Formats: sequence, C-alpha cells, structure tokens
Amino acid sequence: MNEERLILQIRELCISPRPEKKREFLQHLKEHGMMNRRLPVMSHGEFLAGQLFYIGKWIWILSGFLLLFITWVCCRHPGNYPFALTPLLALGILLETRRSFRWRMAELEHAARFSLRSVILARMFLVGAVNTGGLLIVILIIQPFFSYSLIRVFLYMMVPYLTASWLGAIYERIHRTEQGVGSILICILSSFFFAAAPVFIGQLYEERLTVFWAAAFILTACSLAGNLREWTSIMEEAVWN
Amino acid sequence: MELTADRITRQYKNKIAVDRMSFTLTKGVTGLLGANGAGKTTLMRILCGILVPDSGTVTCDGMGVETEEYREMLGYLPQEFGYYPEFSGRDFLLYMSAVKGLQKTVALKKTGELIELVGLKDAARKKVRTYSGGMKQRLGIAQALLNDPQILIMDEPTAGLDPQERIRFRNLIADIGKDRIVLLSTHIVSDLEHIADRLMIMKEGRLLWQGEWNAGAGDLEEFYISKISDNQ
Repeated sequence: MNEERLILQIRELCISPRPEKKREFLQHLKEHGMMNRRLPVMSHGEFLAGQLFYIGKWIWILSGFLLLFITWVCCRHPGNYPFALTPLLALGILLETRRSFRWRMAELEHAARFSLRSVILARMFLVGAVNTGGLLIVILIIQPFFSYSLIRVFLYMMVPYLTASWLGAIYERIHRTEQGVGSILICILSSFFFAAAPVFIGQLYEERLTVFWAAAFILTACSLAGNLREWTSIMEEAVWN
Repeated sequence: MELTADRITRQYKNKIAVDRMSFTLTKGVTGLLGANGAGKTTLMRILCGILVPDSGTVTCDGMGVETEEYREMLGYLPQEFGYYPEFSGRDFLLYMSAVKGLQKTVALKKTGELIELVGLKDAARKKVRTYSGGMKQRLGIAQALLNDPQILIMDEPTAGLDPQERIRFRNLIADIGKDRIVLLSTHIVSDLEHIADRLMIMKEGRLLWQGEWNAGAGDLEEFYISKISDNQ
C-alpha cells in the first residue's frame, strides 16, 4: 500500500461523517416553532405500557423461575417453610428501581416529560403487578395441597413478600450501593427469618393467629406505600447525590 | 417566551453553589461561562427542575420548572450521562422519546432524522458501549433535540467532540437558537465567541456579568479574563 493511499484511508477513518438532511431538519423545526405546534404525545397509560419492554429480561426470568420453584416446592412438600421463599421475589422490584441510578440515566430521565419519578413508579408497578398476579395464581394452584384456607395461604405468602419489599425499599431510599448488595442481603435475610420463625414461635401458623397475619399484611402494605411516597418526594436529591 | 430566575440560591453544606442569581433568558443563544466549580452545572440543573433551589424561583412564562408542561418543551444535555447496556444508539433515542412522551410514529421519525443529523447513521444499530466519546456526545445532542424543544439547555456540549464536529455543532446551535431559548455552558471561550447573543459569566456561584454579546465586539477570551480579574 503506498503512502498516499494510507493517508487517504486514515483520513476516512478519522473524519466524522457529515450531518445529513440538516436543512430539512431545521426547516421542520422552524415550521413547528412558527406554528407553535406541539408534537403528538402519549398518555400516561401508553407510557406505562411502553415501559414494560424496557424492564430487564433477567428480572422476568428471575420472577418466572421463583414462581415455578415456589409452586413445585409447595406441591411436593406442603409445609410452612416454602412460604419463606416469597421474599426472594421482591429482589426483582428492588433491583429494577435502582437501574436508572446504576446506569447513570437518572439525570436524563428526570428532565424528561415523564420524569424519573414516573419511570421508577412505572417499573415498580409493572414488576410488582406481575409478581403479585403470579403469586395469586400460585396460591390458587397450591392451596389444595395445604390444610389451610385460601385466605390463610394468601396471608402466609404475601406477608413475607411485602416485608422484604418494605425493608428493601427503606434501604434503597437511604443507601444506594452500586451493585445492590444491600437489597440482595435483605431479601435473603427475610427469607431466612420466615423460614426460622416457626422454630421460635411454635404457634405461628395456627388458625387463631390469622388476625395477627392479617394485621401484619395491612401494616407492611401501608408501610411500603408510605415509604415509596417518601422516596419519590426526595427524588431530586437522589439524582444529585 | 421568557425563562426567569429570581434570586435563586443553592447551598451544599458550607459551600454556596449558586448565590442569589437573577436573570431572564429570551430567544437566542446564551453562553454561560465560568471556571470549573463556578456553579454552572448546579445552575443548569436548577433550570431543568432537577435540583430545587433553597430559595428563589424559576419560571417560564409564569409556569414552574417542576411542571410536566415545562419538561415537555425542555431539551437537556447533562455534562455526563450513561445508557442502559443493552441499548444501541437507535434504542437509546427511542427510549428517550418514550420518556419524553412522544408517540411511537413521531418517535421513529424523529429518531431517524436525528441519527442522520448527528452523523450516526452507520452506527445506529451498534451498541452504545462500542461508541467513541465523540459519538456518545453526538447521541446526547440528538436526544436533547428529540422533542423539538423550545428551551435547550446544554452542559459542556462540545466536550469530547473533535474540532470539525465542534464547528458543525456550533453552526447547528446557532441555527436552532434563532427562535428558541438556548443556554450553553462551557469553559472553552471559543465555543461561544461566534454564536452567543448573550453572555453570563459566573464565578464562585455568583453572576459576575451578564449582557448582550456582539461577535464583532472583540476578543471574548480577553473580555472574559478582564471580567474575572476585575472581581479579584
């Protein structure tokens, strides 16, 4: 290869491509500006539906795997300890909420029309709704294998799941580590806690304590909602820090 | 259209990042000059509604910057931004269109136009992680323009661009700024010399000087240094 050809090839590699259709773009922009015309925008519902495709594939894989595993364990060994697996489902929600911060998209999202708050709430809602819907189906499938009523199986499944979600959301609001180690630990520890709890409280799954479980369900659900509200109200600090 | 900041202040622990700044931005290109740490980024974040000032207000024709209507007409390029690892350049722009609330058909059209405009046509389907610094910056510029913004705020937009790209970018901004509010922050004086209609000079969180700038008025670098020196 002669030197001249080499120089030409290097120049081709180093020169950035010229902008195309700049005149048309500016003309378009000018027309829009002059007519004060707004671009057609989507509704909040369309935005929510659209976010479904931006949730990480592995979040769905994790949720699907855990729901199948819980069903399998409950059908094969219908004891109390399979209920302690549901806190692991909260992991998907907790890790998905911190995705914008982890990949440094938070600032861009915060300045957009739907803002970071909407993005995070939409993702939490979608993953939470799929997990809860999946859990309800699992409860209907596994209930015949247990001697408990449907409402009791529902409470035994949901309370550990909501507890891990609530504690994880508090942790995520206060500390945000790069790899989400804290959230993973909280879900695993919650799982261990609910697996070990019957050892320390022998009557935990007795019928007379159903009221206690119902109260725990309401308390954890309300605390989770309150924590999310508080978290979204300080979103700008989260972006900055 | 007017973007008005009225006595805005923002403090971090014992450092005042923005100190009682008041100004009004109108159509045209406004250059925000200042050394590193002068408070330019904090000011831009306040104007975008990302940071809430400790005191003072920012309004656009009476509308607060925290409203959805304001964000709908805002284009913002931060100094640094990331991307989701699975995204190609095109995916990134389509995602930003969705967060900006553009309908799918409009998003596809605008994405195509902007990919061509910033010269990323051949790399549009490649992962953003394979992009060079300059390509990433051009992608950032493209996302800021997706929603035909009436207010365009760009923090160090020429960082990472090669000299040729910088000239093209300056020309583009000069054209866009004719009928929109454009605020550009930089510490590279030559980026503003030929395109800024107005200048704001910041130092240690305070607005040292603001006023019209005429490209033929002389050397901007000398003017900037004289203003900074006057204050010392």
